[in-house]
Amino acid sequence: MRLISFLPGLLVVLILFGLYYKSRGILGLKPLTSLLFGSEWKPLKGSFGFFPFILGTFWVTLTAMILAVPVSLLTAIYLSEYAPRSVRGAAKSFVDLLSGIPSVVFGVWGVLMVVPFVAKLAGWLGTYSSGYSVLSGAVVLAIMVFPTIILVCLEVFAAVPRDLRDASLALGATRWETVKHVVLRKGAPGVFAAVVLGFSRAFGETMAVLMVVGNMAQVPKSLFDSAYPLPALIANNYGEMMSVPLYDSALMLAALVLLLVVLVFNLGARITLTRIERRVE
Amino acid sequence: MKKTLVLILAVLAATGAAFAQAAPPVVQGKVSLSGAWALYPMAVKWAEEFRKIHPQVQIDVQAGGAGKGLTDALTGMVDIGLVSRDIQPAEVAKGAFPLAVTKDGVVATISAKNPLMAAIKSKGLTRAAFIDIWITGKPLTWGQALGTPDKQPVRVFTRSDACGAAETWAAFLGKRQEDLGGVGVYGDPGLADAARRDPLAIGYNNINFAYDAKTLKPIEGLEIVPIDLDGNGRIDPAESIYATRDDITTAIAGNKYPSPPARDLYFVTKGKPANPAVVAFIKWVLAEGQAFVPETGYIPLAKDKLAAGLARLTGK
Repeated sequence: MRLISFLPGLLVVLILFGLYYKSRGILGLKPLTSLLFGSEWKPLKGSFGFFPFILGTFWVTLTAMILAVPVSLLTAIYLSEYAPRSVRGAAKSFVDLLSGIPSVVFGVWGVLMVVPFVAKLAGWLGTYSSGYSVLSGAVVLAIMVFPTIILVCLEVFAAVPRDLRDASLALGATRWETVKHVVLRKGAPGVFAAVVLGFSRAFGETMAVLMVVGNMAQVPKSLFDSAYPLPALIANNYGEMMSVPLYDSALMLAALVLLLVVLVFNLGARITLTRIERRVE
Repeated sequence: MKKTLVLILAVLAATGAAFAQAAPPVVQGKVSLSGAWALYPMAVKWAEEFRKIHPQVQIDVQAGGAGKGLTDALTGMVDIGLVSRDIQPAEVAKGAFPLAVTKDGVVATISAKNPLMAAIKSKGLTRAAFIDIWITGKPLTWGQALGTPDKQPVRVFTRSDACGAAETWAAFLGKRQEDLGGVGVYGDPGLADAARRDPLAIGYNNINFAYDAKTLKPIEGLEIVPIDLDGNGRIDPAESIYATRDDITTAIAGNKYPSPPARDLYFVTKGKPANPAVVAFIKWVLAEGQAFVPETGYIPLAKDKLAAGLARLTGK
């Protein structure tokens, strides 16, 4: 039993080791700093700079979370604290449905609806964008992350004891005050965990983002610029691995960087979570 | 009654045996193919027709891009990889055995809503203008590309996935896919759609994605950019070869369209194929199979090229 429960952890270590082993080829030839902070990506000329891809991942994910967190948190609060039971049930099954849609469907929808919309939006704001941009990627991603955050938050709020709310209301607090000072405070660690779960999905999401983000190996300067996240880099170029020397090694390194970023993020989140838990108790 | 039945059976058996002797040896086995989108419709057609003659052979065709086809063939995942670009020396060193099976081409595409359509149609773009658009990377106006005073910007699109179309278009401009600038869009249909939607956009497509298979005209909302081959600043009748799919394929067959962006399409195997079913299929494709090439929207290879391919296959 104990052995089996260790297995998933062991798997992560194995994957880490495997990726490191495969990316030794390029790590042996180039200093790590030039790989991570170089911004020229011309594999055939032997320059592998991951900086545009790392920043692309960062901006798309961050924008997506800025869009997704407030909306899903408020949705969850409304559904859990204000909505009648029938509305809650119906909305919950809708959100469930949303989480079951394959990502490539979101991608196609993004190309047909979000990309033209972002292009128009840029026009209204007086700049130009092809629509294939950080913002389009973030919007599609935010919609994909909604269900995760909303569903986990609903579970968290449901776990806050009824008595606490009653006590607060009995003291004369309004509903909103109760939500702010009791439900959210008690549920803070859970809400944080929901956001981290959403973030982890957002980091690795490939297909839908790839289809709307524009895939230009440049450091994006605005929300309307094209970006090129790490997962898209791997998916787009996987097919060429056999033909260019060091390419397979470079892509494995990209995968390793992605995995490390997600791991570090999760670890950081876990530490913060324990701190919050301690403070709340 | 019983006697007649026996007699009929005996006669049937005898004729069956006679047929078996007269017909060529029965080919059976499995052939698997995967790779380039550009060659996929042709491979499917060939598989269908070949199965009509040799129903005992199972043929499985999958699409997924030239790079995937090559990787799959080299790792032994499939018997034949479909590749829509030239084979690199590094790939030959790894055992790639390419055989050209047919031709098609890549054309530059713009939106039918382009405000400068008349000028583009009459002047065309030179190779130098294409290099300014895709390679040099500095912001460019349609006026600069066409040699007119227009100030509207050219919005450049390219493919994001590793593919034969991009590699071939880059080869036309003397570069590789990674050197092509522009917003990267996934897949041939994606690029066609991006070019169609933005009036100032320019992209490129495989012929079979730029033209409608039913009407043989460019697909709705898309127009083909004529290439000013002799650089005299206008499109002469000899350079006006884009009206229908038949026109452009005839032009490619007659070498009136440059190569690249016209290109050979390859079957790639790992080493010389040994599996009898695979050999029989490739031989058939290089001979009788060529009859189905024009109707599927491709260009048949020259006779001597096919013969050379057959000779390499059989090792003579």
